[in-house]
Amino acid sequence: MTSNQSDVTSEQAETTTVHPLQEFADSVAAAVGGEAEITFDTVKVHVPAERWVEALTTARDDLGFGYFSFLSAIEWTNDPAVGYPLTDEVEERIEVICTVGDVFEGRRVTFSTDLPVDSPTIASLVDVYAGANWHEREAHEMFGIHFEGHPNLIHLYLPEGFTGNPLRKSFPLLSREVKPWPGDVDVEAMPTEGGDAAADEPSTENPEA
Amino acid sequence: MSIDADTIRHLSEVSVSVELQTEDMTLNIGPQHPSTHGVLRLVARVDGERAFDVQPVIGYMHRGYEKLAEVRTYPQITTIVNRIDWVAGYANEIPFITAAEKIMELEVPPRAQYIRLILTEMARICSHLVFMASYPLELGAASPLFFALRERERVLDLLEGVTGGRFHPNFNRIGGVKPAYGSGSMTRKWVQDLPAGFYRDTRAAMDRVLEVCDELDNLVAGNEIILARTKGVGVIPVDVAASYGLSGPNLRASGVPFDLRKMEHYLPYDELDWNVVTGTNGDCYDRWWCRLQEIRESAKMIQQAIDQVPEGPIQAKVPKVIKVPKGETYVRAENPKGEMGYYLVTDGGNGPYRVKIRSASFSNLSILPWALEGALIPDIIAIMGSLDFVLGDVDR
Repeated sequence: MTSNQSDVTSEQAETTTVHPLQEFADSVAAAVGGEAEITFDTVKVHVPAERWVEALTTARDDLGFGYFSFLSAIEWTNDPAVGYPLTDEVEERIEVICTVGDVFEGRRVTFSTDLPVDSPTIASLVDVYAGANWHEREAHEMFGIHFEGHPNLIHLYLPEGFTGNPLRKSFPLLSREVKPWPGDVDVEAMPTEGGDAAADEPSTENPEA
Repeated sequence: MSIDADTIRHLSEVSVSVELQTEDMTLNIGPQHPSTHGVLRLVARVDGERAFDVQPVIGYMHRGYEKLAEVRTYPQITTIVNRIDWVAGYANEIPFITAAEKIMELEVPPRAQYIRLILTEMARICSHLVFMASYPLELGAASPLFFALRERERVLDLLEGVTGGRFHPNFNRIGGVKPAYGSGSMTRKWVQDLPAGFYRDTRAAMDRVLEVCDELDNLVAGNEIILARTKGVGVIPVDVAASYGLSGPNLRASGVPFDLRKMEHYLPYDELDWNVVTGTNGDCYDRWWCRLQEIRESAKMIQQAIDQVPEGPIQAKVPKVIKVPKGETYVRAENPKGEMGYYLVTDGGNGPYRVKIRSASFSNLSILPWALEGALIPDIIAIMGSLDFVLGDVDR
């Protein structure tokens, strides 16, 4: 009896649950010619890299998304030098993400596109959203993405002459190379006087006895 | 020696041409300058009294938090995010914690949500009071600083009483909040989450905050010099502001009711009676005025919230070792400085795969080259100060 009931409810849930943002996501995807995906209230629309600027221009002019939230990237790799590895095998790529929205109703959409890991290049959004200038400079130095048509693609945070792209998963975190973290070497042993090996052992004697 | 007519004409032409040829000067402001709220350097081409091609040079405080977050566990990351905008450290934790809770599909108990709301608004009052103190000071008025910082200290004391930290509370846990400082472990049956006398002290402090708002209103808004320095200066129209990603009071001063507390429904703001403050002209004065009104709104919000705090647990049931299942989401919240958000990519591990930190001051500051183009040199400080940025929030 109970199992039947739970079967019915789960079936209903599968057939009737439509995400409240589904309609909105589909309309945006249709307008820019991309694929919509909803992950935990975040509407993500995937567009091909060659139609990146075109899609964002449509979003600004036709959909009313005049507000530029941020632009960044995610490197998907199966073999990270730093950080937690992924559980499932992924297609190695750099995913550029850009969130825009409107300032009156608070709707927002994250646009995304895939670039190859080697020499990723994409057209710049500076002419569409002025705020993209700094965000693209940051993504350029951190991920090594080249933004074509950017007026001033120089380092933003990093000093001139810095080599490497720190947010790439292949870029090692040097302080962690020197000292692993987190781990059991967290607590350092107290320095001992005279370098006596026996003094390194913790004392079991009560010093007040 | 006699000077003939030709020489005289030649000399006069030389002097005329020397007078007409004005040389541009490069002016370097910062990185160590009191009005830069940290370490910001501005390089401006100055022609007479006007500045052109102003380029902010940032990165002196870049700490690489996005990279560090990739090698930390979720509870460790809240200590990092505290330090992004240190003037309102508590408010930085909210979007990160909310993002993790959203992917874990956790239901946070209402009492914890109310405590979060009260502390976030306290952080907002502290941040705006720092602006109330520093902005007139940058324009040459020293007294508002003492009024504003005195009240801020009272609010910080309350924050410290609950969390144990004045600037870096690290008070949120995934699924709830910590028990109050000094009240024992979370496993005890009866934990005290707010210190004794908190409601009483908060009511008194909020009354004082409202009073000091009136004082600041009289002191600053009634000052002709400040009005002359700020009214009509640094006007930012809505469309320009939006395309640069300005948010918070900076955008609302231009006349848009863009407030994520109303739009994103992340804490029980809907259950309180409050208004979104908007300006009309988008100038420096409106940005100042909006923040003053927001202090009043936040104080009223806190007064209502402490009457409504429900009883109950402060922590949802979570495993001892926090693992966030596979997913990605962008969660943003209204910080004192504007939109702060985290694009969180998780994959079931102890820590995230990628965290993109969208901080408000970064986008707010990026409008400086536009806003300062052709501005008078004294207006550089007036416009820059009115954007209310913190360099820790810019550089992350």
